[in-house]
Amino acid sequence: MNPIAMTYIEGPVVEEEVCFTLVELCQACSAEQEHMLTWVFEGVLEPVGSSPQDWRFSGESLRRARLALRLSQDLEINPPGVALALDLLDEIAALRARLQRAGVR
Amino acid sequence: MKFKDYYEILGLARSATQDEVKHAYRKLARKYHPDVSKDPDAEARFKELGEAYAVLKDPEKRAAYDQMGSQWKAGQDFQPPPGWDTGFEFSGGDFGAGPGGEHSDFFEALFGRHFGTGQRGHMRAQGQDHHAKVQIDLLDAYRGAQRSIALRMPMLDAQGRVALQERKLDVSIPKGIRAGQHLRLAGQGAPGLGGGAAGDLYLEIAFKPDPKFRADGRDVYANLPLAPWEAALGAAVMAPTPEGPVRLTIPPGSVAGRQLRLKGRGIPGTPPGDLYVVLTIALPPADSETAREAYRAMAAAFDFNPRQALEE
Repeated sequence: MNPIAMTYIEGPVVEEEVCFTLVELCQACSAEQEHMLTWVFEGVLEPVGSSPQDWRFSGESLRRARLALRLSQDLEINPPGVALALDLLDEIAALRARLQRAGVR
Repeated sequence: MKFKDYYEILGLARSATQDEVKHAYRKLARKYHPDVSKDPDAEARFKELGEAYAVLKDPEKRAAYDQMGSQWKAGQDFQPPPGWDTGFEFSGGDFGAGPGGEHSDFFEALFGRHFGTGQRGHMRAQGQDHHAKVQIDLLDAYRGAQRSIALRMPMLDAQGRVALQERKLDVSIPKGIRAGQHLRLAGQGAPGLGGGAAGDLYLEIAFKPDPKFRADGRDVYANLPLAPWEAALGAAVMAPTPEGPVRLTIPPGSVAGRQLRLKGRGIPGTPPGDLYVVLTIALPPADSETAREAYRAMAAAFDFNPRQALEE
């Protein structure tokens, strides 16, 4: 195959170049709006904007929303529990990164 | 096909109550959830748990499973006896129950291959967005790359059964991408319904394990072993970077664990990350008389107690 003729699909890096509306974030996560509303209420997701129609979620929200969705579905955790789990997972990730920086694998 | 003992997987007796089933599942699911556990087998264990739970939590499926009898042992060769499910009426709909969606051959032989979620009639709708994880080389993030990746995706065939389809995607990896970030490929998700637009595909990026380098966000870390005299006296040595070795001056009196920062030599971006060279000390083996003599000379030359701090 002639490599020059191949076309490579390009796409934006979500965390740097994308922000989501409520509808877009629901589509990206295959989640219901009411889930997102609950997680915004619990502080799991922090969009800017005053009302759900104006909300803009950062690209990083994709990872958090999907994680929240998996935890609530797979482990049957309620929204405050999901919020707590996400905070603790962030903390564990930060501690693991510190260990890794120190050379502990 | 091997028989799966769903009771054993959940650590339960066959007489367990529905509450005990739920309790056992929740406890093990928390332990082996792939987002929580770092156990390399976590994902496989979690899938198995989800499958066991999907059967045992549902009184209909559990009763059908139970009536195959308790003489089966996990791992035994197994074929469902003909007509094993006669007399059971499944209320249906919930077959995709377990998390993950993909079940073992054993499960599918018993309960069929169906998707839990039905088609939403003939309305016009955008296709679902899909997600996949891909591993790239760290160097791809330094330089940008064009990669062909193979993805396996469960697709519904004409009969509404799930089949794994493999497809190849040629993807541009942008320079500066970091582990955990996502690429959004427009229109590469599930096809739309009734003329609706196709969904998007999100690729989550991870770096292949690398013997020399480890990335933390934009920053990259590499260990650099030194001989004791290089650390003590200072030296100029070649240090590895993902883009090739560079000459590095080691200051005299360096100790193990010291980090030398090579500014801007981490993953590119605005601002670029840094590369941290973490010094380690490698001891030469005392495997010849000359070497042992050198160690004895050191012992004689130093008034050095490495355990001083322990004695205070």
